[in-house]
Amino acid sequence: MATCLIIRFPMLLSALLLGFTAPVFAQTNTEGESNHTAVAEQVEALKKKVIRLNRDLFILEEDLLFPANTQVAVFLSVDTGKFLKLDAVKLKVNDDIVASHLYTERQVTALERGGMQRLYVGNLKTGPHQITAFVEGIGPDQRPYKQAASLEFEKDTGTAALEVRVQDRSSNYQPSVSIVEWE
Amino acid sequence: MGLKVSQPPRRRPVLFTALLLWLMMIASAQADETQPDRARDLRYGWILYEYHQGNAFDALTQLAVAREQGGIEGHGDHPALVEGGLMLSWGMTREASSVFTELLGTDGGSTLPLNVRNQAWFYLGKVFYLEGNHARASENLERVDGDILAAANHDLFREWVYLRARLATMSSEFGNGLELTSLQGLLEDTDIWSLYLRYNSAVSARDTGNAVAAEAELQALIAILDESTDSDEPEAEREGLLGRARLSLAGLYLRDGQFEAALETLGAMPLNGVFADQALFDYAVAAAGQGRPQRALDALETLSGRDLFLPWRQQVPYARAYVLEQMNRPQHALPAFRQAADHYEARIEELNGIRSRLSEENLMAQLDFRRDSEGILTDSYGRLRVQPVDFGMAEVLASETFQQALAELNELYRMQSFIAERQSRFEAFRTMLETREQQRQIRIAQTRRALDSQQAEQWQQLHHAFREKIATALSEEDAGFFMTSKQKALRNKLDEVAETLAGLPDDATTASQRATYQSMRAYFDWWIADDYGVNRWATQKQLRELDREMEHFQTQRQQVETLMADGAGHAELARRISTSERELATLGEEISVALGNARHGLLSQVDRMLVARQEELKGYLLASRHAQARLADQLFSASQSAGVGDE
Repeated sequence: MATCLIIRFPMLLSALLLGFTAPVFAQTNTEGESNHTAVAEQVEALKKKVIRLNRDLFILEEDLLFPANTQVAVFLSVDTGKFLKLDAVKLKVNDDIVASHLYTERQVTALERGGMQRLYVGNLKTGPHQITAFVEGIGPDQRPYKQAASLEFEKDTGTAALEVRVQDRSSNYQPSVSIVEWE
Repeated sequence: MGLKVSQPPRRRPVLFTALLLWLMMIASAQADETQPDRARDLRYGWILYEYHQGNAFDALTQLAVAREQGGIEGHGDHPALVEGGLMLSWGMTREASSVFTELLGTDGGSTLPLNVRNQAWFYLGKVFYLEGNHARASENLERVDGDILAAANHDLFREWVYLRARLATMSSEFGNGLELTSLQGLLEDTDIWSLYLRYNSAVSARDTGNAVAAEAELQALIAILDESTDSDEPEAEREGLLGRARLSLAGLYLRDGQFEAALETLGAMPLNGVFADQALFDYAVAAAGQGRPQRALDALETLSGRDLFLPWRQQVPYARAYVLEQMNRPQHALPAFRQAADHYEARIEELNGIRSRLSEENLMAQLDFRRDSEGILTDSYGRLRVQPVDFGMAEVLASETFQQALAELNELYRMQSFIAERQSRFEAFRTMLETREQQRQIRIAQTRRALDSQQAEQWQQLHHAFREKIATALSEEDAGFFMTSKQKALRNKLDEVAETLAGLPDDATTASQRATYQSMRAYFDWWIADDYGVNRWATQKQLRELDREMEHFQTQRQQVETLMADGAGHAELARRISTSERELATLGEEISVALGNARHGLLSQVDRMLVARQEELKGYLLASRHAQARLADQLFSASQSAGVGDE
């Protein structure tokens, strides 16, 4: 055995060496692969179930906490964001602060790419209400910027959806904040 | 401590690399009539907000909610495309494939731009390739239109050519190499993808026994790499490939006994490179083969001074002793073999210990996960960013199956965290439901009091009595009953006159008044009879209106009563809570089982690697012991001979 190994020494080392420099991305362990495929399929099926269940729980939670006849949701969008780098937002409903948010870089980017943040969801009785949004950030010339917008709206028996819209106003190179009611 | 995560999957961080960049591109505004500049649907805006942050789980959940609640308006096929992309980035490749096939297939009638569809097929194909599913990878990559891809994104086009060429090499149809040659022709010789292709085809040629072709391919590759220094690719990547190519070529030379060529190839490798140690060992082999043992010994001595934790370095102790023996230095070779044997014995023992103690906790302790504030970082294909603490793990860690198994184990732990977090909410759900019920009972009590104050029964009795009277008057044709107020007033006056006349003497003094009264009464009676139809109709009309109002009043009361008595809404919510709780528990059990399987699979992979390493060490141990015995015999014989000579 030893003699054999001595004779084969260079060959053995070469074989080991070649084994180490196997093709890029190459796979050799078929047994491991098939086991892994089974687990991967199992995990994917579970992920599908988790999404479905999370969907049901989300709807259930909304039905419990915010029934459709009293629900009010406020979203925030940023259109282009050239004249305002969003930093923070505060939201008042009927003189009560109901939401405030400090934005991370990632969230600002997500908003600037067309995302809309659900800033607040709550319940309001039918009738007239007032909503005010205070937006803070870095405005033109890198100066701190604050602006508020207000809206009086009538809450009926359906879900109410409002959007705080931060837009660039090219007419005066300033940002503008408005609140829009979605039908 | 095993591989644990503190965050539920909703906060899973995903690096924004190629796949997500593409996803962002398709979701952002495009010159395409089906994709408006602003979100036309609030839910879709919200989905994009989650998705641009890499929160695939949240975004997928919201897409599912949107589908459940009527879908997304005004965005055409884009939500489905985003969903497919999110599934890809969350490791749901099979689901993503179904979504894309349905959406982008030839019969799908999709309104998406062709370049977006092209790239969707490319990424899907690449994910299947990385998963080792070559059939599905080919299927998807072949759907890509190369010209369109090249015009839209040349980097992706190069990678697409590489992947197709690799698949062609691996397919059973590979043999004439026509497809491979034509694909290679699409890339510049100096392109990094072309260089990888050359390297891989050299390895394939070597594996099929065609050493000549392998040598030629590796020589060409080395020549191109040596000449092309001004490349766009990172220098480290090209240097790595060059080192790998030289090692492989030297390996081929060693196999063929071309030691001089091997020495020359290895001599060109830098001493501080990634493959320096391996090159040094090969150098020792080549030098030994060429009959220059001292050189070989020097190289091996250098390697011996280093930690022998890499699997391939386990050859060094035996090789060192072997070279000493070859140098005809048995006095030095014998203790070297003894040391080698002791080393192998200790290492085998050590591996025994590692195998017996092998657990997920120990395994994870050997891995260094890259994290940020939100958890373990992953790449855009969901694989964890991890490095081995012990470089002995590098071999197994580098395998795609281990990487995927590790990522899946991580996903399963995330799902387990999700289950635990959601389970803890059910108590709150029940409290919410109870509170809602209490509030409902308060409102019911208030409504009951309000209803009572309306005295509905009294009104009903009056209505009934009125109806009876009208019915009686109708049956008796009682015209007086239906008289108008004016007629009633006149009648009362006539009655008063009659009463007055009755109190007066019936003679000539009152005759004229009596006659006048008689004529008035006659006229009045004729008038009442004449108006009977009109008056009766007016009364019946009023009665019908009253009936309607009373009916409306009763219906409303009935509705209120029904609402107060109806607990269906509450029961439905309670049922949904119980159902979800049961489903969550079942899912939790399934995840536990999957976790067990994934854990077992992962540990089995490591154990297989350890067993293979042990087998290898046993071979060296046996060879070292045999050499020891042989040399001891040899030395003993020599000393005996010397003793005889002395005598």
